[in-house]
Amino acid sequence: MKNRTRDSRAARRAQQFSKFKVSQLNLVPLVDTFVSIVFFSLTTATVGELAPVVPGVTLPETTVGTPALAQLTLGIGATVTLANRPIMSTLDAAAELSNDPRYPLKVPTLYRAMKTLADSLRQARGVSKDADLKVALAIQGDRTMRYDLLSRFMATARLAGFTYLSLEVQRVAGGP
Amino acid sequence: MASSYLHRTRLRRAERGTGMRGHEGGQLNLVPLVDILTAIVFFSLLTYSGVALAALTSFDLVLPPVVVTSPDEVKQIKKEEDVLNLLLAVRVANDHLEVEHSAEGGFRTRIDSLNTMALDSLQSLMSEIRSRYPQNRDVVVIPADEVSYDDIIRVLERLKKARFSAIALGTKARATPATKP
Repeated sequence: MKNRTRDSRAARRAQQFSKFKVSQLNLVPLVDTFVSIVFFSLTTATVGELAPVVPGVTLPETTVGTPALAQLTLGIGATVTLANRPIMSTLDAAAELSNDPRYPLKVPTLYRAMKTLADSLRQARGVSKDADLKVALAIQGDRTMRYDLLSRFMATARLAGFTYLSLEVQRVAGGP
Repeated sequence: MASSYLHRTRLRRAERGTGMRGHEGGQLNLVPLVDILTAIVFFSLLTYSGVALAALTSFDLVLPPVVVTSPDEVKQIKKEEDVLNLLLAVRVANDHLEVEHSAEGGFRTRIDSLNTMALDSLQSLMSEIRSRYPQNRDVVVIPADEVSYDDIIRVLERLKKARFSAIALGTKARATPATKP
């Protein structure tokens, strides 16, 4: 009789306290989310930011080379853009004559924009005004552009201090 | 005593029943799946920049080599690798290619046309030059004014395939700027 009373009391107590009991703490979703975050963080840190195509430019295609990462870009489509900022129309750039007889290929308007950018980069890096600017400039030009125009843009860029130039083109399948 | 035994048995059965229910139901926990999908959507939206991200590649250009004569300029040369033992140039015109270099008393050859066959010939010739002068990995490409950018890239591609890594784009000396777009 005594045992029965005790048992029933224990059962009643267990029932009362069962609503306060934390039965399970499911850590699986938390771990899954953390795994996803770590995966994406590592991917973006390792791969880096890929170079975007300048709008309005049809790039030439090639089958060789490794993926290019985002860098300072000179876009040459209908408009000449520097770091995604429109500078002048390409027709105006082609028609603009150099104002320096020593450098007949120079495009003065583009040169001013490039020089300002180069100076601000030098200032940000704390180097002197005439120091070599170790910043690569990628050129994304339209495939129909003539070389005389491209050579003017390249000469202007080098004159402004960008000596590391690269030509960014579209990579298609079929390479080694 | 007997009733107590029965009561305990009933309790045990009830406990067992609760334990079994988890196995019998065959629950499929979709919460982790939803969490992962939410994380993927979140990061996708975060990294979407609104512009096309194509598989781009780049041809790094070097400055064309220069001939130095003054003693001061010669002193500035720090490494032996900075001195070229061969001056190699590829001239590109709309209808032909010309390869020339400074060795063997001056080598010069012309490849007619700019089609795929001509580019194949250029690649094999350049590969041969590269293996004959392994120290030299520099080449200067001098396109004519009217040559399109697309054709220049096709030539650069063949030079890269021929294992030339230091490619420079040269221009003809001129007194007035090009004006045609």
